[in-house]
Amino acid sequence: MTLHSKKATRRRVMSALGAAALAAPAIRSAHAQAKTIVFGGSVPLTGAAAETGLNVNNGYITAVSYFNDVLGGVEIAGEKYKLELKLFDDASDPARATTLIQRQIDEGTNFFLGSFGSNIVLPTAAITERAKKPMVQTGGGSDAIFTKGFKYVFGMYPRATRQFASTAALFKTLTPTPQTYSVIWTNDAFSKTAGQGVKLSCDAAGFKKLDEFELPAKPTDVSSVLGSVRANTPDLLVCVMHDQDSLLIARQMVASNTNVKCLFQGLGPQLASFREALGKYSEYLMCSTYWDESVPYKDKFFGDSRKFVEYYKKKFTRPIAYHTAGAAACIETYILAMQAAKSTNPEAVRDALSKADYETFYSRIKFTPDGDGDAIIMGSMIGQVQKTKLEIVFPEAASSAKPLYPQPMWDKKA
Amino acid sequence: MNLVVQTLADGLVLGGIYALAAVGFSLIFGVLHVINLSHGILVLLGAYLALILSTSLRIDPLLTMPAVMAVLFVVGYAYQRLLIQRAVDRSPLGSMLLTFGVALMLQNTMIWVFSPDMKSITPGYALASFKLGAISFDAVRVSCLLASLVMLCCLAALLKFSALGRVIRATAQQTLAARLCGVNVRHVYALTFAVSAAFAGASGIVIGIILPFSPADEGTWTLNAFVVVVLGGVGSPAGALIGGLLLGMVSTLTAQYIGPSFPNVTMFLLLVLLLLVRPQGLLGNAFAPSR
Repeated sequence: MTLHSKKATRRRVMSALGAAALAAPAIRSAHAQAKTIVFGGSVPLTGAAAETGLNVNNGYITAVSYFNDVLGGVEIAGEKYKLELKLFDDASDPARATTLIQRQIDEGTNFFLGSFGSNIVLPTAAITERAKKPMVQTGGGSDAIFTKGFKYVFGMYPRATRQFASTAALFKTLTPTPQTYSVIWTNDAFSKTAGQGVKLSCDAAGFKKLDEFELPAKPTDVSSVLGSVRANTPDLLVCVMHDQDSLLIARQMVASNTNVKCLFQGLGPQLASFREALGKYSEYLMCSTYWDESVPYKDKFFGDSRKFVEYYKKKFTRPIAYHTAGAAACIETYILAMQAAKSTNPEAVRDALSKADYETFYSRIKFTPDGDGDAIIMGSMIGQVQKTKLEIVFPEAASSAKPLYPQPMWDKKA
Repeated sequence: MNLVVQTLADGLVLGGIYALAAVGFSLIFGVLHVINLSHGILVLLGAYLALILSTSLRIDPLLTMPAVMAVLFVVGYAYQRLLIQRAVDRSPLGSMLLTFGVALMLQNTMIWVFSPDMKSITPGYALASFKLGAISFDAVRVSCLLASLVMLCCLAALLKFSALGRVIRATAQQTLAARLCGVNVRHVYALTFAVSAAFAGASGIVIGIILPFSPADEGTWTLNAFVVVVLGGVGSPAGALIGGLLLGMVSTLTAQYIGPSFPNVTMFLLLVLLLLVRPQGLLGNAFAPSR
């Protein structure tokens, strides 16, 4: 019995091996069918831009995980593909980022996602452009990215000087109509051009500029600027800079009792940590936001924004930010372009991206011939902190609350 | 006139904070001859510890100062004895490379532990202000300036009057003589580093109340400390205070009268000028006369 059993076992093993040998080509074939599309790039997971970099990274991971695990991959021209991310920490350092991107190009990566910060996106986009590899990014809005004749870089926002048009339009709807504005920006690639955009849009809308202030890239004290604001007080004070610097200004405005009728901060109030830090003083502050869970767009893959958020929350505990949604939309835009091109050839995909007109959970996606987001279709919404929540107050079609203006004095908020 | 006075007042307040943040760096530089490039990390560690303690124990962040200083004292002692001393023994430049490496590693560890998100310590009085005549003051910044002055005075008294201070001064002035007198120089070095780390932690609490902070800020505080020490002179609280106040006033006056984007330009111009004219700093090296 034992011998018979052994023989039977040996026979079974031999049979199994034979079957495996016969089946090997089929297995190889099945394996060959599960092709992979690799998205390369860098993100700042450490260094000065790490806070938003982490949001961007989470967006990329959410999208790839959804396409692979929930949808089982994506179908392009009749073939099934899995998605793979090859993203590295650039430590918020443009020099490090360019080295990482060049290495990935040398290794054959065809499609790139963007880092966060125009100072990183610009030099890395120059490398991918030279290699004729597309980059879709949600981290760089500086005009310099979109005015150098690049054909392979696409951004999920309008260029910085066009980003303020919708905010100026909101200002025109306020009553009593504001007459004057002052603008503060920090000395970095994005904020400087965004500051120019504020001036262009506000001047075109007929507001009178009182002052403009350029702060160092990393300010630690703004008391002298606020002294000037108190001496020559505008109706609207617009600050275009990164979150941490916005918080510094808001805190010093409260502490020095510097009041304006409307404080608009491009980045900052949309973050829960910012609102917590300012507490009740964050009420009425306005900011730009490019996405909100409540936006009404339908999506071929995720369904809509709420479903995207549901899936995100299954994977991460970190509060979702618009950069997260924008990053996921970068990958979705790539997939839609590949499906439209019926190809994964980088140049064909680039051509399809340039003709993109897709609806995603994030926004309708349509790029200008220079690669930045269409200023009307992909322009910003305006949020205002009302009862600790960020409500959308503009445009009216997407709004969840009416804008409150003028803002009360700081001591009235106490 | 009011604007000038307001600007000077703002500069003094800012300078006091720079001084407190730099005094630990100055002491280590003066006594150990080590340029501690991880100084900013110790400052931030103080801020994060204060945030955790004040939130979890629901107490005023300034009340966490003794506990934060105690923790940083122990950390500083161990850091010097276990790592820095070994690097100093091998090569004069070794300590600089080591502290730079430790700063990089600890910055990433902080990101891992605390997240890269900006944090702020916001007690109930964080956004209060008061007026003296036409001059308005940020109450928190003023109270932080006072805390800085008290801390600097405490350190000066410690160095001048206590047994530990005498031993530190003796070691800094004549290491060999101190050793011949039976002073355990390595222990004194570690104690000096521990005291400096404790003061860096204390300054972190003050900075955390005034400014939003994140792990990426460590370089800013190391650089500021370096500039303050070069301006004021090495090794003494008075040098740090003079350097800090000078830096604060130059920053605010430049921002007000030349342009808000120029404080760094004038700060480094002043640094270059002083290095050319008086390289030992305004008050010189506190321990130099006996060397």
